[in-house]
Amino acid sequence: MSRFFATGSDSESEESSSADEITPKATGTTFNKQALLLSDDEEDTKRVVRSAKDKRFEELTNIIKTIRNAMKIRDMSKCLEEFEQLYRAFLKSKTIVDKEGVPQFYIRLLADLEDYLNQLWEDKEGKKKMNKNNAKALSTLRQKIRKYNKDFETEISSYKENPEQSAEEEEKDDIGSASSSKSDDDEGVTAKSLMKKKPQEEEKKAPEASKFLKGAADEESESEGDEESEDWGSDSVDSGGESEDNEGEAASLAVVFLKKAQDGDKQPERKKDDRRKRHKKMEQVDEEADEEGEGEEGGWEKVKGGVPLVKEKPKMFAKGTEINNAVVIKKLNEILQARGKKGTDRSAQIELLHALAGISNENNLGEGILVKIKFNIIASLYDYNTNLAAFMKAEMWKKCLECIDELLDILFENSNMFIGENIAEDSENLAISDQPFRVRGCILTLVERMDEEFTKIMQNTDPHSQEYVDNLKDEGRVCGIIDRLLQYLESKGSTEEVCRVYLRRIMHTYYKFDYKAHRRSLGLQGETKSEQDQEESEGEDSAIIMDRLCKFIYAKDRTDRIRTCAILCHIYHHALHSRWYQARDLMLMSHLQDNIQHADPPVQILYNRTMVQLGICAFRRGMIKDAHNALLDIQSSGRAKELLGQGLLMRNMQERNAEQEKIEKRRQVPFHMHINLELLECVYLVSAMLLEIPYMAAHEFDARRRMISKQFHHQLRVGERQPLLGPPESMREHVVAASKAMKMGDWKTCHSFIINEKMNSKVWDLFPEAQRVREMLVRKIQEESLRTYLFTYSSVYDSISMETLSEMFELELPTVHSIISKMIINEELMASLDQPTQTVVMHRTEPTSLQNMTLQLAEKLGGLVENNERVFDLKQGVYGGYFNRDQKGGYQQKQNYQRAPDQRGGYQQKQGYQRDQKGGYQQRQNYQRGGYRNQNQSSY
Amino acid sequence: ENLPFFITCLVVLKIIKHYQEEGQGSEVVQGVLLGLVVEDRLEITNCFPFPQHTEDDVDFDEVQYQMEMMRSLRHVNIDHLHVGWYQSTYYGSFVSRALLDSQFSYQHAIEESVVLIYDPIKTAQGSLCLKAYRLTPKLMEICKEKDFSPEALKKACIGYEHMLEEVPIVIKNSHLINVLLLDLQEKSTVADKPELLNLSSSNHLEKSLQLLMDRVDGMSQEIVKYNTYCRNLTKQQQQKQQYLQRRQQENTQRQSRGEPPLPEEDINKMFKPPQAPPRMDTLLIAGQVNNYCQNIKAFTSQNLGKLFMAEALQGHSS
Repeated sequence: MSRFFATGSDSESEESSSADEITPKATGTTFNKQALLLSDDEEDTKRVVRSAKDKRFEELTNIIKTIRNAMKIRDMSKCLEEFEQLYRAFLKSKTIVDKEGVPQFYIRLLADLEDYLNQLWEDKEGKKKMNKNNAKALSTLRQKIRKYNKDFETEISSYKENPEQSAEEEEKDDIGSASSSKSDDDEGVTAKSLMKKKPQEEEKKAPEASKFLKGAADEESESEGDEESEDWGSDSVDSGGESEDNEGEAASLAVVFLKKAQDGDKQPERKKDDRRKRHKKMEQVDEEADEEGEGEEGGWEKVKGGVPLVKEKPKMFAKGTEINNAVVIKKLNEILQARGKKGTDRSAQIELLHALAGISNENNLGEGILVKIKFNIIASLYDYNTNLAAFMKAEMWKKCLECIDELLDILFENSNMFIGENIAEDSENLAISDQPFRVRGCILTLVERMDEEFTKIMQNTDPHSQEYVDNLKDEGRVCGIIDRLLQYLESKGSTEEVCRVYLRRIMHTYYKFDYKAHRRSLGLQGETKSEQDQEESEGEDSAIIMDRLCKFIYAKDRTDRIRTCAILCHIYHHALHSRWYQARDLMLMSHLQDNIQHADPPVQILYNRTMVQLGICAFRRGMIKDAHNALLDIQSSGRAKELLGQGLLMRNMQERNAEQEKIEKRRQVPFHMHINLELLECVYLVSAMLLEIPYMAAHEFDARRRMISKQFHHQLRVGERQPLLGPPESMREHVVAASKAMKMGDWKTCHSFIINEKMNSKVWDLFPEAQRVREMLVRKIQEESLRTYLFTYSSVYDSISMETLSEMFELELPTVHSIISKMIINEELMASLDQPTQTVVMHRTEPTSLQNMTLQLAEKLGGLVENNERVFDLKQGVYGGYFNRDQKGGYQQKQNYQRAPDQRGGYQQKQGYQRDQKGGYQQRQNYQRGGYRNQNQSSY
Repeated sequence: ENLPFFITCLVVLKIIKHYQEEGQGSEVVQGVLLGLVVEDRLEITNCFPFPQHTEDDVDFDEVQYQMEMMRSLRHVNIDHLHVGWYQSTYYGSFVSRALLDSQFSYQHAIEESVVLIYDPIKTAQGSLCLKAYRLTPKLMEICKEKDFSPEALKKACIGYEHMLEEVPIVIKNSHLINVLLLDLQEKSTVADKPELLNLSSSNHLEKSLQLLMDRVDGMSQEIVKYNTYCRNLTKQQQQKQQYLQRRQQENTQRQSRGEPPLPEEDINKMFKPPQAPPRMDTLLIAGQVNNYCQNIKAFTSQNLGKLFMAEALQGHSS
């Protein structure tokens, strides 16, 4: 409680900085609990019986403290409330007051409060700012205290005359405790010197606060007295435990509790040891052990939090105990028993385990036991955060990495050691003997957990900070550990374990672009490379590693999940390195598309990432259609960010509560593995443009043309809606502008919009083979523009020379020839090639817009007739006109006749579609008819 | 019955001028016709336009404007009987609910009221197109009843052909004007009217087709609505029948057992008939479609004539 109040004071900030060794206490600890704690565990402090006077005064001081606090935060209503309570409490303790006289602290409060209120009252500005309640409380309180203070006039005036005197006693206390702590050690000195720095007035102004400060200092310098001051934390005057001589001077009726300092003389020395131990525990183990044997107080410092359980301080070994395996194991178990219990200080546990490791090392108990302890150290490091969402602190993480490294060292050195989860606790063999060591524990799980922790750290670091880069540097160490584990398990582990560790390795490899292999494939080796690069290129290509690891998993794995992940990573890796055909074949062969929806979300995210990478790969290789198809699903949802696990979309809380959000956050992919979303969208939009623009030109007059890409159309519409069209700024605007140019067959403008400096820096330069991609793009733009041009303007031409076209689109004649031939073969273009003159002769069989419209009208009228006949059916019963086959056939024939001149694929398809629809309808009708008939028959 | 009514040249020119000045594209201009009723016969002698007003001036009062206008005209001794109104049309589209409603209110007040439909596009092509319409008495009846349910329309035996009747127009001028016209005719040359021989037709046809298609779509929707209504109705009727049968069976059983029959319930309450869709819109659409078709037919036949003529001329010259 005292701490709680003390935090409000100004001087506390200095104090706390010097007192950072004190772990924060639970602010809510009650007196009861602590009293209990005292009586249970303290053996050397005497039980205290409090007199009625003490009790009463304590009550008063408590209230006074609250009032002072309320004063500090200008909470008048609280002040008033507490004052009334104080008044009542004071009345209750009337008898004692009569006996002892009005306590000084009471008078002091009254005087201070009055001054304070007057001061507030005069502060017109401040009063205005007060809220209504406070202002009201202020005036009431002011009146009350005026009236009340009349009874104590003399006392107050005497106090006012000589305020120092009454403040003196605290001063004395201070000095007393300071002097006592002086002898202690340097820490105490620093604390004390800090105290001394405080100006006198400040102390006077906030005497209470200074007291608490002192209390804190006591806590700091004397861990023993700490307990008492905690107990009496709310005391107004709280002298340090050893300040015996202060007792007499406590003229202010303050309650001073003295700890019976039976071992006071020993204390300084012991404390020194404790402190040293705290810093260099490992070296001090033996000495400490001696101490432990002597008295339990040695461990006082480690007692933190004031929760009973910790009090059962796990003892190290009694002096003189022969340290052997059995003892250490017993100790270990003892420590471990506290694990997971509420109130166990986890960091202390880690320390203890370290210490134990040191002991066993010193006594040469053998690697078996060391390994065992190490396992537990790592486990307790993981335990440190109880919350699953929290991530490890940097120092914990470093420790963890070191520990695992050491553990692996030991394992490598001792080939005769068996570890495993399935070794039972009692069949362990930890002692040095002829038999090989057998230790329970699974290094693989620890490493996996470590990997997850690493991911968590990366997830929780701001990706744009230096910290992220620093953290990312640890990735190398993580990879190193995984590699070592891989080596170890390859020789020792079961295939299952090998699969698991392989997957870890794959997970750290698949998303990294292998620059050295890339360079090698470009044939740049040896020319401009430094020696370091040379060294680097010694290693295996990541492609080969991936291949080896994945194939092993394909062959040996029995859990579906690992195989799925491995396949996806493999595909991703292929795609990343532009091995399109391998990637595609693997994707198709795995049949993952069929059942991925049953997988768990992380795997689905991986799948999405893979599909995106596959699409981008296809784009790089110039397979526009494949690229578009691969990206369609991700892009059309508009939630690419979410689907790739690269961020949460803003959504209202109805759709997702806090719990879900936490889960989703945990699934996020760390920033360094992200796929650039702008690149993704650009690739998608450009592929959509290359597909959609010619298609739109070809099907301009279709009534029911289908869109290839909704997203793209949406962008076009957004562009159209702009009231004023400036030069394009964003990537999307560039693509829209390019699309418009392409619609007109203007490939040069299109080209300049797609490939320019802005787009280069935003998108294209992100590809490893930027130049090649750009060349491919130009070519595609030229070709598709040519097609668009022919679709759009063929009705204007009677014939057009291919040479002209090839000049217009800067394509070679054979290419133009082949494109046009393809269009003719596909019946997209009604034309023929005239070989001798190298011209395209248009057949002019394309319907004009009027004809098109007429066709549309005919179609609509057909629909109208159909609808009408349905109405007629209902009127006539079922045997009416609609099912008259002849009539219907006739109608259809007519339709066919009407469409005779139009032989384009699109129409035929549509007709087929319509026919299907009709079929469906007929079926339904037949079914109904059956029903009717039955009814009719039954009614006959 | 449909006696032709007289209309002065002034009115025609004023309408044309009004459109020329204010109407453009598919926008429609409207105005008030003034005249007299002389022995069952209507004479329209003057008109004035409704001012075009934007949505910004909300406080503009059309009725007040009309009254003031008519009062002012009366001061200069112009016939001030409000005998109808005129409206321009875009490719022959005018049969709409709005027209029906306002014409009904006119005719309700003065039986002889007409609506003049002016087609500026056709006029621009060389032939003045001004038509007068009145609602048929049948339609007037229906509108009075305000019952557009399928049954009511069926009972009234009204089809889209019988909604509007065209009233022949005679443009009649004072002798002085006639003299002036004759004088002008002397001066003008026919060669100034090349629009008459314009051979290109696709633009006009495309526009007409678009509008026609739009209406056909509307018609389809109406039919679908009606269709669902019919289906729902029959379904309900069946349920009703079944329910009645069951009831009857039960009652006969009860009778044989000597129990009193079940009390009669309001069957209509249990089976509320579905809301019938109003059929007036369908009728109007049909009327409009008919109108378009007539227009297209007239236009194409004219054009065909022109094409044949052109062919003949070409063949002759070559």
